[in-house]
Amino acid sequence: MSEAVEIPEEHDLDTSWMENMGEWGANARPGKRGLTLADIQVGSYGDLPEVSDNMTGRPRGAAVRPEAYRVGAYSVHTLSEIWLDNAEYLYEEALQRQWSSATDIPWHTLEPLPDDVEEAECFLCTFFNEVEFVAGDVPARWIAKTTPDYLEARNVLVVQVMDEARHMDVFRKRALANGGGLMRMSGATSGFVGSIDLARDFTEMSTRLHISGEGAVLTMFRMGELFGQNEAEKTMYRLCAQDEARHVAFGVMHLRFLAAAEPERGEEINCYLDEAEGQLISGQQNPAGALAETSEALAVLLGGGMQHYDEGHKKLLVIRRRQLKEYMKRVMSAGFGERFENGRSPIPERYAASA
Amino acid sequence: MAVFPSKEWFEEVREVYNSDRSLHSGGGGACDTTAGFSIGDRRYRIEFAGLECAEVRESNDAELAETDFIIEMPIESWKAMVRDVQENGKASSSQTLNSLDLGLEDGIAHSPVDDQYKQDLFYRYNQNFQDFFNASSRVETTLE
Ligand SMILES: [Fe+2]
Ligand SMILES: [Fe+2]
Repeated sequence: MSEAVEIPEEHDLDTSWMENMGEWGANARPGKRGLTLADIQVGSYGDLPEVSDNMTGRPRGAAVRPEAYRVGAYSVHTLSEIWLDNAEYLYEEALQRQWSSATDIPWHTLEPLPDDVEEAECFLCTFFNEVEFVAGDVPARWIAKTTPDYLEARNVLVVQVMDEARHMDVFRKRALANGGGLMRMSGATSGFVGSIDLARDFTEMSTRLHISGEGAVLTMFRMGELFGQNEAEKTMYRLCAQDEARHVAFGVMHLRFLAAAEPERGEEINCYLDEAEGQLISGQQNPAGALAETSEALAVLLGGGMQHYDEGHKKLLVIRRRQLKEYMKRVMSAGFGERFENGRSPIPERYAASA
Repeated sequence: MAVFPSKEWFEEVREVYNSDRSLHSGGGGACDTTAGFSIGDRRYRIEFAGLECAEVRESNDAELAETDFIIEMPIESWKAMVRDVQENGKASSSQTLNSLDLGLEDGIAHSPVDDQYKQDLFYRYNQNFQDFFNASSRVETTLE
């Protein structure tokens, strides 16, 4: 028997759905940059609930359907937990600044390198492969936990996952494109990098990932312009650095928002920073840190081979110093600079000692 | 022939940069920022809006203090960079803005209000600034 609903020849069309709508008459207009998420914050569609009770996946501003299933018990449903003031903007920027690891890197400029240099580069590429998996997996977990009412912040994370996929693939491509291959894994994901995934709160995750982890990685990628041995590597690192700066911007802007909205969480955030800085000092998570194998690979590359290791190491120390300084200034920009003045943070001392 | 540094030179570079999308390399898409160039005793202010360089003009310290970041180098370093672009069609690896920045302990770019978020815009939009200066290879240039 057919399961098709039998429709009597004459029937009244039920168009009552046409009467259920969100705010009507929206006329968003494109600006200079096209029709952006910022341009569609019109009328009540731009209203962000401080606390979201949306458990049905209802698009923000759509009319409520009372019988809709509860598809998401969104654990991130308070604005201050995830919000940042320029989410719409960061999302559009990310979309418009995408690049292709297949065609935007001048791969033809790769040339055979001395064994020690190729091994050092391949070691870093292996390390970055591990790190980029974490950088993509972790925000990805938080996307589905976040209420659709905060779609702009969610979307920034969605594009971050795309960015990290590209970073992962570009380093893999480099490792496999010049006579080398992947090296032994660094194990970084079982240290601080992996612990980012243990965060139980979004801001805890963002502090570890965006501020501490990606801030350090940003300096490393920028350094790629110095240690890259050819145009392909330099371009690869430079383009990754731009993306990384955007991810760091998310963290800084979110922390700023949270610090203003919920100053009572200041001590908690400081604890996350304590933890991350312990790692910065010990060098476990910081690939440009003193203890990591990656430091040796970096020194080989910066020097241009094992025979110039000391020279490379000196350059690395200068950049390491810069990394500490930029980290401190980023935390200040996010609203937590006091810790560098009241003796709580070990970084100023470490910075002074590195002079 | 435009003289570097001068308002005319920057204006010509801006026209070249805006008129040919092939000069905007991968990863050099939409960019919104204002920055200052401190070149000897000259000051210039540049503004990027979306996919184009909206304006570049002669400026002063007070105005530069309002920008997101300022790129400051001795005039000889600026000239070396521009000369390198003229000779190679684009900055060679030691003369890119990022390399020049990393080569100095305090870098070449800083936020006038010492805000790292704003200084990070130099890293975030690096490719646009590089593409802009690379576009100067198409401008007949005399160094002052
Ligand atoms: Fe990444
Ligand atoms: Fe990242």
